[in-house]
Amino acid sequence: MTHAIAIRGLHYRAGRSFEIPNLDLSVPTGSIYGFLGPNGSGKTTTIRLVLGLLRPRAGDIRVLDRPMPHDAPRVLARVGYVPEQPHLDPTLTVREVLRFQGAFYPTWDHAWAEELLVAFDLDEHRLFGKLSKGQKGKVMMLLALAQRPDLLVLDEPTDGLDPVVRRDMLAALLDYVSEHGATVFISSHLVHELERMCDWIGVMDQGRLVTELPMERFKRGIKRLVVSGAPPIGDPTPFSVLSREPNGASSETWLVRGWEPEMQAFFETGGASLQRVIDLDLEEGFVELLRTFRTPRREEVR
Amino acid sequence: MFDHIDPRSPTPLYAQIASRLRLAVSAGELRPGDALPSVRRLASQLRVNPATVVQAYRDLEAEGFLDMRQGTGTFVRDVPVGRRTSERVYQATLLVRQLIANASRLGVSLDELHSAILEEMGAKAS
Amino acid sequence: MFRVILYAQWKWSRLVVTLGTIAAFILPILSVQGASPLPASPMRAGEILTMVQAWGVLYPVLAAALGLLVAIATWAPDHRGRHVHALSLPLPRWRYVLLRFGAGLVLLAAPALAVLAGAVFATRFAAIPSGLQGYPVALAIRFGVAVLVAYAVFFAVSAGTTRTAGVILAAIGGVVVVQVLAGLANIHLDVLTPLQGALLLWPGPLAIFTGRWMLIDV
Repeated sequence: MTHAIAIRGLHYRAGRSFEIPNLDLSVPTGSIYGFLGPNGSGKTTTIRLVLGLLRPRAGDIRVLDRPMPHDAPRVLARVGYVPEQPHLDPTLTVREVLRFQGAFYPTWDHAWAEELLVAFDLDEHRLFGKLSKGQKGKVMMLLALAQRPDLLVLDEPTDGLDPVVRRDMLAALLDYVSEHGATVFISSHLVHELERMCDWIGVMDQGRLVTELPMERFKRGIKRLVVSGAPPIGDPTPFSVLSREPNGASSETWLVRGWEPEMQAFFETGGASLQRVIDLDLEEGFVELLRTFRTPRREEVR
Repeated sequence: MFDHIDPRSPTPLYAQIASRLRLAVSAGELRPGDALPSVRRLASQLRVNPATVVQAYRDLEAEGFLDMRQGTGTFVRDVPVGRRTSERVYQATLLVRQLIANASRLGVSLDELHSAILEEMGAKAS
Repeated sequence: MFRVILYAQWKWSRLVVTLGTIAAFILPILSVQGASPLPASPMRAGEILTMVQAWGVLYPVLAAALGLLVAIATWAPDHRGRHVHALSLPLPRWRYVLLRFGAGLVLLAAPALAVLAGAVFATRFAAIPSGLQGYPVALAIRFGVAVLVAYAVFFAVSAGTTRTAGVILAAIGGVVVVQVLAGLANIHLDVLTPLQGALLLWPGPLAIFTGRWMLIDV
């Protein structure tokens, strides 16, 4: 099984406003796949479709090599899910929640659940509904991990939580991944957190997957170039130019994608000169990518 | 030890971790025989992908700095003095390269930079 | 799995079930008060029948109330969380629904048994005039079935989405509107009466609630 999640030609529609027209997405087994996108782009909907909580109109979804939502009960036994909003019964105590959840998963690890309770500093006798946001988040992460899943699907698990809680949750997550080799599919707005731990990145916007590739290639490939004596618009380039902006009279700043260092040669032969190559971190790269993806591509050159 | 791991830097994380460890061994912070944290612990502590830690450790093992022993752990090897020195020299070169590049970007001449270095080093010595 | 579902369900509905069980036990006893074996003057048959019948009105009310409240308690947390938790559990939806239904039934066994206990106790210690008989078991069974029917109906309605519940209410509303309009237009169209008959008279499903509930009868 090369891909823990394989989506092909997914079409989903809800009402008149929101649509995912045609989605192809693949999460390699054993990877930590970061799912980025602005609010309303369809990330949560995609996650719900992957878990069988929603039915697609067309297309193929395979999770752990089984069709969804057809095989949902069997697949969900091996998938740990942390949703955006806490979805547990507020009238049960933490201990009761653990007991409830544990009854449904044959792979439940009682000993480790106890360890995590202590590590997360949770009071087992408190009602779930009375916990703070951070504590609720920790309980949900605990439940997803204690299940010992092969795939973890996390929908903005740390958003809105304080740095200490985020650190604890991610440390436990990575501890498990190191030990078990599980695949992680995580969506988040905290781009820098994703930048640390993800080896794959998928960017979604307005129901479409804008890009999907290994993290290093994404970061290496998107650059700002300061160019003087630039070739006219329309000339073919070995990289894709997302935008060009003038810097005063003498030079321009180009935003490019798919850059490789050898491409410097392109400028030397063309009579232009490449003055600087500026790296972008993931957040800047993501923002620039979306900006250019949305605006009409007047200047796009392939 | 790993406070300055910066995911935003263009240097890949595994290279940053490896570099820090290399320097620690060369500077004597880590002595031969010292045990390094397990992949699992370090990945969890730094909140990075375990594959990142594995790559850093493997690179260092290939270079002769570490020994990854199945089942027992990862340990610092006794690196010859020459190797340690050349590592420190290399790190110094990198620092200087960065310094010069920054200076030129700010419009500081090499002479101005040179005087500033001598002054600071003089101040440090006394 | 059933055990934890039952536990959760108990936690939600324990107040209703406890009070209901107490009420279910007391009801038969209250319905024969004054008919104790050592009265100043023994009650006559007519008096007893009237009293039992009067109190008997409360049985279907209690049954319906228990069925309704336990059904609501079952589904309220799920609805609040928009079923996300239930749907993310690794078992088919129909099995989950069945487990929940079963848990409610187990809890509702308590008031049903309480009616049986109270009825047996009441008929044992009441002075029943000759010509009349106590029917504790029949009454308890009827109560049990009534609770089951009420629970099943409200459970089915609550288990659906709010849209389904809305559709059902709209259908009922629609029938009423049609009837009223027909009346206004002087059209001799009677929709409600046959519908009522179908539901409330035997063998309609709600027939069990109508009629007299007699602990003691001829």
